[in-house]
Amino acid sequence: MSYKYLGVLIAFFCPMLIGEIIGEYSFDNRYFFNSGMQGQERNHSSFTLSPEIFLEEENSILHFKPKLRKDNEDNERNLIDIQELYLINLLEDKEIKYGISKEFWGVTETTHRVDIINQTDTAESFDGEDKLGQPMVKVSFEENWGLLDLYALFGFRERTYPGNDGRLRQPMIIDTDNPQYLSSAKNKRVDFAFRWSNYFDQLEIAISHFSGTSREPRFVVSNENLKEIIPLYEVIDQTGFEFQYLVGSLAIKSEIISRSGQRDRFTAATYGFEYTQVGILGSRLDLGWIVEANHDDRLPSSPAVIGSRLTFNDTSDTQILMGIIYDERSEELGFLLEASRRLGICCSLSIEGFYFDDTNEDNEEFKLFQSYKEDDFLRFEFIYYIGD
Amino acid sequence: MYLLNLGKNFFIFSILISFVSCPIWANKALEIAILNDQNNNGFIDSSSDMTMNLINRKGDVVTRKLRFKRLEVPEDGDKSIAIFESPRDVKGVAILSYAHKVKSDDQWLYLPALKRVKRIASKNKSGPFLGSEFSFEDFSFQEVEKYEYKLIGEEDYLNLKCFVIERTPLDPYSGYTKQLVWIDKENYLIHKVHLFDRKSFHLKTQKFEEYKLYEGFFWQPHKVEMINHQNGKSSILLFENVKLNNGFTNRDFTQNSLKRSR
Repeated sequence: MSYKYLGVLIAFFCPMLIGEIIGEYSFDNRYFFNSGMQGQERNHSSFTLSPEIFLEEENSILHFKPKLRKDNEDNERNLIDIQELYLINLLEDKEIKYGISKEFWGVTETTHRVDIINQTDTAESFDGEDKLGQPMVKVSFEENWGLLDLYALFGFRERTYPGNDGRLRQPMIIDTDNPQYLSSAKNKRVDFAFRWSNYFDQLEIAISHFSGTSREPRFVVSNENLKEIIPLYEVIDQTGFEFQYLVGSLAIKSEIISRSGQRDRFTAATYGFEYTQVGILGSRLDLGWIVEANHDDRLPSSPAVIGSRLTFNDTSDTQILMGIIYDERSEELGFLLEASRRLGICCSLSIEGFYFDDTNEDNEEFKLFQSYKEDDFLRFEFIYYIGD
Repeated sequence: MYLLNLGKNFFIFSILISFVSCPIWANKALEIAILNDQNNNGFIDSSSDMTMNLINRKGDVVTRKLRFKRLEVPEDGDKSIAIFESPRDVKGVAILSYAHKVKSDDQWLYLPALKRVKRIASKNKSGPFLGSEFSFEDFSFQEVEKYEYKLIGEEDYLNLKCFVIERTPLDPYSGYTKQLVWIDKENYLIHKVHLFDRKSFHLKTQKFEEYKLYEGFFWQPHKVEMINHQNGKSSILLFENVKLNNGFTNRDFTQNSLKRSR
């Protein structure tokens, strides 16, 4: 992993030589209302540095973005990652990207079913929005028949998990140092993927396929220590379909995947809508509604999410998002709060909160939030943006 | 059958209708609108840097910076990309728009932190743009076909002899019921617009100033001010480094180009 340290050195010293640097430095503090189920601390803070450099010439672009994270409690949450280090070449009829990058696929808001190019950094956040850089060669065509991206993915990144001292973790200890692979090439397997998307007036669709090492592992119990589980990364084939239709202020969305390679073939889908009311009650505030249901063949239930986003449209870009997750079968509720605003020209502040509530403890169905029972938290994040 | 097949000839059809209902005035007003539009035609492509000053009631100013690229599309609305430069937290956020003459525009928003391109519902165009007094609608291009016109009269404005035209947005999602437009008689440039909200209240006044002529035919205002009479706030848009003929092509206005258009 020494190339990572080299990258970090380049990141911090090169910008001074070659010009423009942007990116962010952030400090975050999570306060948990209770001690962890395994006795973990209540207060967890971390510091993240992610500067970015862009170099641009007529037909090529170089982008470099390392990310460093230091956590005061959980060693597994420390991170040295290259999020972006790629070169884009613009050719007559296509563009080619070589290097490490992040690629997002999808249309829904709560769960990203089809998004599969990058590994998820679950140590950073349990919502699955944070990703690790993936080495790739991507060739992209954009014509009247749509946008076609072809990927060859080199090398595999293991999923991160909160460690023993971390919060929002599973009760079993995950032995991330000894992952198992089904492919004989282990984490060196070359994976392939494509995604085609197009729009027809108010309709947007995309079809994708991924053939390679599953980003999401299954777990096997360790032979040496029965309290430990080991991530098992199998080779999968996953076909994805995305759909979005706009009718006025309403966006109807759906993402469906079908995956084989991890025991039986299964289907998972997220579907719902987003509706925005512009200028509520004659004010300049916008109120958005997000309703999404999540189906997964592997789970006994389909939890639904209802969210509402209030956008103030003020000079500080103030936003508040509130959401409720409800699982009918287990009778569990989760409350989510996210609020953010800009401070001056350089900075921003955000607050995030999560509250888990088991409304019926006598209910003996599979509990989604069982292991997060003591993990209600409030998180404050202060971000400083680098720039002139 | 003929009537049912009107489709894209709806515009011509609506002109015919207005001929019948108000023969002279509508004809004259449309002619003025077309002459005004010609000041903005044939430029092929343009680029500019924009500074937007948002001024509150107390006079405090905050500044936003954008870069703007535009490509003329014959027989349809223009393609454009607006790239946010500041404040720093929105740097790299960009909007790709395909304007259309009659049907709703297509718009995509790029969020660099998520690396996500998101289609925006064009109905939401009446909302504020970047926290300013300009709405998304005020920011889009004023295609002739988007309105119905009526000549109200003539009036002097800033020592210029002007036509005063009432134009009614045809898009049902417009935030306005009508607009009064002052167009001078010499160069057919818009100098002032009164914007009336859905309750027909005179909500905002837009002023176009510091026109400069490029290449002998393209008029560009270098200062556009939007005054909101309801909340006492205003926003001033200043244009710099206006450049025509950058050699842009359709390939500079795609979702891929949006992702790398920082």
